[in-house]
Amino acid sequence: MLLHLLVIAPFVAAILMVLNSREDSSASSRMAILMGAAFTAMSVALIVTGNQATTPMEWFHIPGTRGPVYYYLYAHGLGTWMVFLSCGLSLVALISARCTTGKDYRNFAIGIFALMGAMNGTFLAADAVLFFFFFEAMVIPAAILIAGFGGEKRTTAAMTFAIYTLVGSAPMMVALWYLLTIADNFLLLSMAVAIQSLPPYQQDLVLLSFLLAFVVKTPIFPFHGWQAITYSEAPAPLSAILTGAMSKAGVFGFIAWVLPIFPMNLNYISGLMWLGLLTAVYGALMALRATDGKRLLAYSSMSHLGFAVAGVFSLSEAMLPAVLVLLVAHGISAGVQYFLMGVAERMTGTRNITEMGGLSGKNPVFSFLFGTAGVMALAVPGTAGFVGEFTVLLSLWDLGPLPALVGGFCLILSATYVLRFIQKVIFGMPAREYQEGTRTTALEGVSFGTMLALLLAFGLHPAFVTNSLHLFDEVATEETATELVEEVAEPAEEHLMTAEELRELDSTLAASGFSEEERKALLTQIQSIEKVDSVEVQDSTEVQDSAVVQEPAVETDSAAAQVETPAVETEKTEASENE
Amino acid sequence: MTYLPLWFIPLFPLIGTILLGTIAVVSSGAKKGPSEGLVGTLAVLFPALSFAVVAILACTMPEAGIRETLCNWIDIPLFRADIGFLFDGLSRIMLLFVTGIGSLIAMYSIGYMHGDRGFARFFAYINLFLFSMIVLVLADSLLLTFLGWEGVGLCSYLLIGFWNQDIKNCKAANKAFIVNRVGDVGFLLGMLTLVTIGGSSILNYDGLAAFIKMIFGADMVSEVVIPLSLAGILIFIGCTGKSAQIPLLTWLPDAMAGPTPVSALIHAATMVTSGVYLLARLGLMFSMLDYVLLAITFVGMFTALWAAIAGLLQNDIKKVLAYSTISQLGYMFMAAGVCAFDASIFHVFTHAFFKAALFLGAGAVIHSLAGEQDMRRMGGMINKTPVTACVMIFAFLAIVGFPGFAGFWSKDLILERIFVSGPIVGPLVYVVGLATAVITAVYMGRLIIMTFFGKYRGSKESEEHIHEAPAVMLIPMVILAFGAIFSGYLWADSIGITFFRDSMASVVGPAQALYASTNAVSHVNPVIFAALGTVAALAGMFIAWKVFIRARIIGVKGASTVPEGSAASWTFLWDYIHCAFIAGVNILAWFCDVVVEKVLQAIQWTLAAIVEILGDGASVLQVRKVRLQLAFSIAGVALLVMLVVFSGGLV
Repeated sequence: MLLHLLVIAPFVAAILMVLNSREDSSASSRMAILMGAAFTAMSVALIVTGNQATTPMEWFHIPGTRGPVYYYLYAHGLGTWMVFLSCGLSLVALISARCTTGKDYRNFAIGIFALMGAMNGTFLAADAVLFFFFFEAMVIPAAILIAGFGGEKRTTAAMTFAIYTLVGSAPMMVALWYLLTIADNFLLLSMAVAIQSLPPYQQDLVLLSFLLAFVVKTPIFPFHGWQAITYSEAPAPLSAILTGAMSKAGVFGFIAWVLPIFPMNLNYISGLMWLGLLTAVYGALMALRATDGKRLLAYSSMSHLGFAVAGVFSLSEAMLPAVLVLLVAHGISAGVQYFLMGVAERMTGTRNITEMGGLSGKNPVFSFLFGTAGVMALAVPGTAGFVGEFTVLLSLWDLGPLPALVGGFCLILSATYVLRFIQKVIFGMPAREYQEGTRTTALEGVSFGTMLALLLAFGLHPAFVTNSLHLFDEVATEETATELVEEVAEPAEEHLMTAEELRELDSTLAASGFSEEERKALLTQIQSIEKVDSVEVQDSTEVQDSAVVQEPAVETDSAAAQVETPAVETEKTEASENE
Repeated sequence: MTYLPLWFIPLFPLIGTILLGTIAVVSSGAKKGPSEGLVGTLAVLFPALSFAVVAILACTMPEAGIRETLCNWIDIPLFRADIGFLFDGLSRIMLLFVTGIGSLIAMYSIGYMHGDRGFARFFAYINLFLFSMIVLVLADSLLLTFLGWEGVGLCSYLLIGFWNQDIKNCKAANKAFIVNRVGDVGFLLGMLTLVTIGGSSILNYDGLAAFIKMIFGADMVSEVVIPLSLAGILIFIGCTGKSAQIPLLTWLPDAMAGPTPVSALIHAATMVTSGVYLLARLGLMFSMLDYVLLAITFVGMFTALWAAIAGLLQNDIKKVLAYSTISQLGYMFMAAGVCAFDASIFHVFTHAFFKAALFLGAGAVIHSLAGEQDMRRMGGMINKTPVTACVMIFAFLAIVGFPGFAGFWSKDLILERIFVSGPIVGPLVYVVGLATAVITAVYMGRLIIMTFFGKYRGSKESEEHIHEAPAVMLIPMVILAFGAIFSGYLWADSIGITFFRDSMASVVGPAQALYASTNAVSHVNPVIFAALGTVAALAGMFIAWKVFIRARIIGVKGASTVPEGSAASWTFLWDYIHCAFIAGVNILAWFCDVVVEKVLQAIQWTLAAIVEILGDGASVLQVRKVRLQLAFSIAGVALLVMLVVFSGGLV
């Protein structure tokens, strides 16, 4: 029920918003904020109640495919937290937008609710088609909002954003469609099974088209062309949602869809890890030079997400909780930074950080929040960012010192650009005279403060976040393991008839008066069935194993690497012997 | 027996931070600041309470120390860390002077910061600093130490840039944070190396000790010594950042842009010594790593010598003290490099007193001269501010190692330990250390002479305003001066007092025994070292007297009285080397911004343009003639049908 509410109710809320008067923004803002608070409460309830799923309902049937499309939602730790980010950031965006959008507030809220519904759908969908539907649907309200409420170059930004991301996921649509013609249905497992039946080059092709969609959405270098202009031209509250929640769809896609569907053919693992690191360094370097505050934050966001993607493709055992904490931390801290940047823009009337300065003297409360948010983005220990970055570094160190060194370099760069940002905006003397706009309102201050407090709480006790991943809950794993063993073992035993049982059967048959020939024919028939059955059972277990467990692939990789070194050594010894 | 809970110690400054921070934020909008009496009382009360708890615990502590695990911090596959505290001989002595001197300096600051608009904010930062420093020292694992480590770095950043209206201060603060960040990344990677060697439990200090015992027991030293050396080097890089050693020493002179009490507390007495503390804490690990120890010794030696020479050439009174701090930290690292951890911590302890006294004295001088920091415009202050002068002269005698004063005991102990540490390296480093002691006496003598003796060289009107500091500032100074004289008697080897060494023996003893077992230590009479040290101090003072008492110091005119915050001053070219790195990063950033980004955009535009051209071309087919349209449609359908037929039908 909660899942249905989280996905469908935002659209209903969007429609309800239409009832409001367009002129009276205070009434519509109250209604919107109340509904936003309700959604946030629901997402918290979802986190508290843990993993759950709805009953699958048939939605429609795509001609040429083998099964129906289900309307089927399920919440696992990762998606739950992303839903929390999307609802929470939307709520703060609704609060923060009150001071900027003015009379058009109603339309802004409609867009935000539609976006929220689409994002929740993306993070909760269990069916690939449903996921893709929401994944694409996110773009539309976002683009409309940018075009309606953005800065000077808003139409260009909206077009770039919409076309770039839609084109990026077009190959995925084709690949998905192709997969659907061979899979039984569009749920994760059957798709994972189906992909194994394809020849390797086709698998790679499908994988590539999946990757492209997520790489563009994240974005990963060199597919980041849409990002800076979109984030900087979008209204600040929307930018906060885009970077805090929507961009997570890319990383989410890698973890929730790419890794489970293609566990066997991730030959691009190390490649993507390096691409992620390259993005992290590139984003940080670009942030170092940016003079537009929102653009700077866009690049910083790109840097952090690149780091997260590098963490994902390190594929270490600690990867999932590490990346989850990193994503949550980045979602909140980047979100609050965008909101605060929006406030700064509102107050000073410019986005150019070289024209700001001296806000610490004029607006101490704002500066306190701004400075704290900046420091928290630096991943100082005790904040959630540190836990995320430290554990991701740990995952990278698993692959070798070089990736971790690059990661460390990013940490230094991030300190550099964040400090520069803080210094330019709040320290020093004001660079120019200006008419001061609306200051931080009390409600805004409280909501930003709450976000910062959350960062601290998650930093000191990350179990709030990581516990939602029941993957390493020992009791749960043991239970599922025994269940699996039982499931696999029992039918196999049932079908295996021992020689004694056969003899018994034979004797009972003889007793009930069957002739010699009849008995022989029956027994051979039973034995032949027996063989087929046992083979089938073995097959299915193999497939299950390969689909569910992804670690073996990694382990074999590292094992292969270990095997290589002795080989080299033997070569060396041979060479020395030859000499 | 039950003890006071350890978490009381950091709790009080934390409460202080929250209270004062709230006051600062709430009152920031008002015209008039909050009551200075209230804020000042709160600001001193909480550190003092913390000091009281430490004092009680220090008296009742058992030999083995107190261990306390509060709760779990991180718990994920591959990694697990707890929040826990460890109170033993080492953290006891560190905490005693951190909280004690912290309280004294907080009290001093009430006078120094009087009338400043950010009064409450300042004390909120000071309390936050003390909280972080306590966590750093009290933590029972490297990861929690790292929390304090970055926390003190953050507070240092906030306090250096405290007067943030002036962009120069902000730049100095940024520099301090970023240079420290470089070191911190070393620390972080060092921790990761350790985790890969021994799992996450190795980050706990007890776990690390157990691990090292285990490898000695299993005779696997040769197998882990290389990764351990890597970890050691990386952690040592972290220490060079925090303790301003080569190559990351450039930030400390610039950090003098902050208020003087901050320089005394953070950049002289406590934070910068945390690198030395960490080396002592990980002593058992470092004692196995001969090459790393050698590197530490030489880094310490060069830094000590180098900073002492740089100190000779400064005119800003705080910069002289900053270089002097770097130089003294070099001594501590030299001692740590020969595994004389108790001696290095002893020097940390005495240094905290006399350097804090020197800085507070300098602060009183600056305060009385209304912000003047240039020694060329001082002189003859002994008549006008006698108490300050006495405090600084006592502290001066302590730092140069005048017999009987604190520095005499600790510095000579370090030099002695260095000499006996080995056959070749020991005497070599000893000679350099002794030469550094001479230079120390020269530049410190120069400071005292230029400030307090001779004639006043400032302007006439400013001379009338010179006044002695208020009592709230003088009391802490006098207490610290007493410390500068007498703190050395806790371990006076020559007269047979070894109280300090015994109190720490349970912590650093095993490491030093391990080192001593592999390095031949010959015993030499300590009196010889004391005599040589005394000769060095006296020689330096004599040179300073000869050169500077008669030298005509030209009072500068017209130049700004405010010292430059981040100008590349004389750090033996290290600033230029850092600048080269920064330039490299900037060029890379420029390349990304101007070249790569533009190329990518060009590719995007090209693709879009091609699509547009194709679209234009296709729209030509959109003709108005119905028959042609129909023909196109039929042709299209025919094409589709053929495709379907030849490709084998629908799926």
